[in-house]
Amino acid sequence: MRKQTKVSGIPSLMDRRRFLQSTAWMSGALATSISSWAIRPSWVHAAAPIKVGIATDLTGAIAYEGTANANVAKMVVKDINNAGGILGRPIELFIVDTASDESVAVANVRRLIQRDQVDVVLGGITSSMRNAIKHVIVTHGKRLYIYPEQYEGKECTPYIFCTGPTPAQQCDQFIPWLIKNGGKRFALPSANYVWPHVLNEYARKVIENNGGEVIFEEYYPLDQIEYGATVNKIMTNSVEVVFNTIIAPGVGPFFKQLYQAGFGKRGGRLACVFFDENAFNLNAPHEIEGLASCLDYFRAVTPEDPASARIQADYDEEYPGKILFAAGSAATGMYRGLKLWELAVKEAGNLERENVAAALDHAKIREGPGGPAEMVPGKRHCKMNMYIAVAKNGNFEIVARSEGLVDPREC
Amino acid sequence: MIPVFEIVLLVVFAAAPIILGDYLTVFVTRVFILALLALSFDLAWGYSGILSFGQALFFGAAGYGVALLARDLEIASIFMVLPAALVIGLISSFGFGALLLLGRNPPTKIFVALGTLSGSYVAERLARGWYYIGGQNGIPSIPPMTLGGYEFVEGRYYYYLAFSVLAIVYLACRFVVRSQFGLALAGAREHETRIAFFGYNTQELKLIVFSLAGGIAGLAGGLYAFHEGFVWPNILGVALSTQIVLSALLGGAGTLIGPVIGVMAIEIAGFWLADSFPKLWHIILGMLLLLVVVFSPTGLIGLVVSDRERVGSFGCPLPPRRHTDTGVDDGTT
Amino acid sequence: METALNAAFEVMTFGAVVVLVVLGLGIIAGMMGIFNFAHGEFVLLGAYTTYLVYSFGLPVWLGMLTAPLVVAAIGFALERLVIRHFYAAPVAAMLGTYALGLIIREGVRSLIGGLYISVPEAIAGSLTVGNVQLSRWRCAIIVITAMVTIATYLLLTRTSFGLRVRAALENPSLARASGISTDVLYAVIFTYGAALAGLAGALVVPMYSLFADLGIRFLIQGFIAIMLGGVGTFEGSVAGAAVVGALSAALPWAVAPVLADVLILVIAIVFVKLKPGGLMAERRK
Repeated sequence: MRKQTKVSGIPSLMDRRRFLQSTAWMSGALATSISSWAIRPSWVHAAAPIKVGIATDLTGAIAYEGTANANVAKMVVKDINNAGGILGRPIELFIVDTASDESVAVANVRRLIQRDQVDVVLGGITSSMRNAIKHVIVTHGKRLYIYPEQYEGKECTPYIFCTGPTPAQQCDQFIPWLIKNGGKRFALPSANYVWPHVLNEYARKVIENNGGEVIFEEYYPLDQIEYGATVNKIMTNSVEVVFNTIIAPGVGPFFKQLYQAGFGKRGGRLACVFFDENAFNLNAPHEIEGLASCLDYFRAVTPEDPASARIQADYDEEYPGKILFAAGSAATGMYRGLKLWELAVKEAGNLERENVAAALDHAKIREGPGGPAEMVPGKRHCKMNMYIAVAKNGNFEIVARSEGLVDPREC
Repeated sequence: MIPVFEIVLLVVFAAAPIILGDYLTVFVTRVFILALLALSFDLAWGYSGILSFGQALFFGAAGYGVALLARDLEIASIFMVLPAALVIGLISSFGFGALLLLGRNPPTKIFVALGTLSGSYVAERLARGWYYIGGQNGIPSIPPMTLGGYEFVEGRYYYYLAFSVLAIVYLACRFVVRSQFGLALAGAREHETRIAFFGYNTQELKLIVFSLAGGIAGLAGGLYAFHEGFVWPNILGVALSTQIVLSALLGGAGTLIGPVIGVMAIEIAGFWLADSFPKLWHIILGMLLLLVVVFSPTGLIGLVVSDRERVGSFGCPLPPRRHTDTGVDDGTT
Repeated sequence: METALNAAFEVMTFGAVVVLVVLGLGIIAGMMGIFNFAHGEFVLLGAYTTYLVYSFGLPVWLGMLTAPLVVAAIGFALERLVIRHFYAAPVAAMLGTYALGLIIREGVRSLIGGLYISVPEAIAGSLTVGNVQLSRWRCAIIVITAMVTIATYLLLTRTSFGLRVRAALENPSLARASGISTDVLYAVIFTYGAALAGLAGALVVPMYSLFADLGIRFLIQGFIAIMLGGVGTFEGSVAGAAVVGALSAALPWAVAPVLADVLILVIAIVFVKLKPGGLMAERRK
């Protein structure tokens, strides 16, 4: 390997590390035309930079969510650097691709920690990705890890902070709304992995506490694309609300088959808590007309919240195209995570993990996508506003808002 | 020529952690574990003509097995888990091999290839659907392997552990292929009916080798589970199986050292390419593989080593001088 | 009764899809002994071409017509450049086509940006049969597949070209000795197989969305179908594909979907062990 042969013969450990860093920077600069891996502000040599690592899926099945993440990170870091950095030091951003493949992810995150020596890692989208990389970061690497995506909860490992919605935030108000605006007979078709299993456990409790009934709860392999049996069950059992946790690639065909069977026409309500603006690619608008989702941010929030409008406008200007700034793609959690961490480092005054963790524990930001956000002390999860929105003709319309910040009720 | 390669590599690897930083040591450890898997493939294909597209099945089964041992029964001692991994690999490959390889008519190469491929595919889908073993998410947070009170975490010590296991298994394989058993295998690979007429039960021979290969794959799986700290359905699946086949053939099947080199080459190439061409490196890798398959069917090692010393090829017609009447040329001089 | 009708319809549709995909794969495997690991990606290319044409504002059915032609052209180019090296070496063929498949799949992935894209059907809407809504497009798929299968059968059995193909299949060296150019035949067959895959891709993309891993699932089912149906005959491939497609669609109605996969594989292996020639063994001489 190119770098390896140059390394042998260099005596001192410090020299070698600096050498590796500069070769990393060179290859990063070379790669900048394709995608920036290591992004350095122009005033980097003025003070020792703070290093932030982002591990996200830039390629593979969830590439479009990962790319949104990376874009947001770049945008926020640029803003922070333009405002003078943190503690007078610029932020240097390192982005690695977890490639929707856990073993690649582990190798790349190891690189972030051991070679690039980042001070914090943000990222991971699926729970399996988070589980794969968390020990590399927190146990072996002894760094902080901020997980930005909505998930099933129950991640209480110390030094891991979650800035995406939890089941409590997504279900407590959403399900009563669904019962009022859909019906009492629920079906829970799900993808077979941890997030749907745990989310459904919570959702079932809320459904039953509100007088609803779960007609069936089924789990399908992730790559299943034929849902005739499921659709048939939904139609013949007069299900009124389909609380869906099937994900891509199955979700598009499933919704289409459901539409073709006439579910929407007879008044059925589709509900899907990960469905954001990026997911509109999956189906034609008429197939998901009336679909309800509950997230911490929708584009339709921008008229009511100037901060959200500004963030959305900034993102659209810098990253026009198909990869949208949307809450289901961990983009909002990434924004929140970075800003909360920035605040924590400023309060701590240094980058020691204990100090930053202690400060992050009670950090609050007043401006963020969807509104302000607050970490719940001792719980390492984040309070945020939640919105219920319904898909109308290819766009989301807000139909309900939470009264203030919602407690994540985790740990 | 091959012994020269072996000695050079031995020395280089023994000394490497001193030069390499932590990060690269961990990287090379992982390469060793995959090389062990590729070695198992070579034993099956290069020496016995069993085109196993399913080595990952045994690798993953053992990986999951020891992960469950560690998670549910809290057994992480090296003296328990590594033998357990080996045994899981042996048993699963014996079972699956008996299904595929035994029977009234000897199975065709294609049948074995497709059968093992499908087996790997189905195992992966099963694992994805089975919530107890984690489903899609797999089993994370596997506690480290212990030796007495010491915990093997990734790093220099695990490097030497993996390296020793690789070296020992390698030597064992060398021993097997040069033994009487190995000669019979080579005979079966070259001309099965002829060897059958000599009185050897070729199906049993193949089953034994397939089981051995499965055992080695299982051992690699056990090492992998504790090194990475998590197992997940992909380690059972078609992608890994095929990657191993490609790496082994890229390096040069039938030489034992070839697959080791092949795995190294592909991992390093992937590592470097992914750094420089993040979005395109799969395509570049695919093109490189294609070039190798088309232009050098005997693999990388075929570039430096003569035909006599290597025995497995892709099945491309071998040059006439190999089929001499004086007996089987299997490179075990 | 609603359930039974829905189930039967789904079995027929999915069976039809698998038959279409496997036709091409089976013909290539039977003719040239090559298991084209890139076949699934030909399906993907058919789907992608359809989407591409549609994204330029042209009607979807135009995309579906061009897809087989485009994929045929690509197949032809690949055959001339790459595949021809592998005829004597089935293992090299498997690996080489795997590498090709990797290139195509990752290429498409980077072109569509890793997204899942929906493509509309050429014939939208549903037929109402009693209480049941049957998608018109799925009916169209069944009809088209039947037509293509019959056409291929007629081509192979009733034309002199088909005669040459079958001769080359039975005994390549004798065919060559009789003056049949196997080279040309192989090229034509590979191209035709690719075209069939492209058509399959175009037809299924409205049902399943376009995404880079679309081809892989069909590939494995294709292999099981061929294993089951027997290599080397047209009827075998069709029969194997019909059985695998029907089982894949029917079993999930009765057992958990994950078990369905295992069952199909076990059934296939056991069947081949008992009857090594496959489903159509007696028909072959």
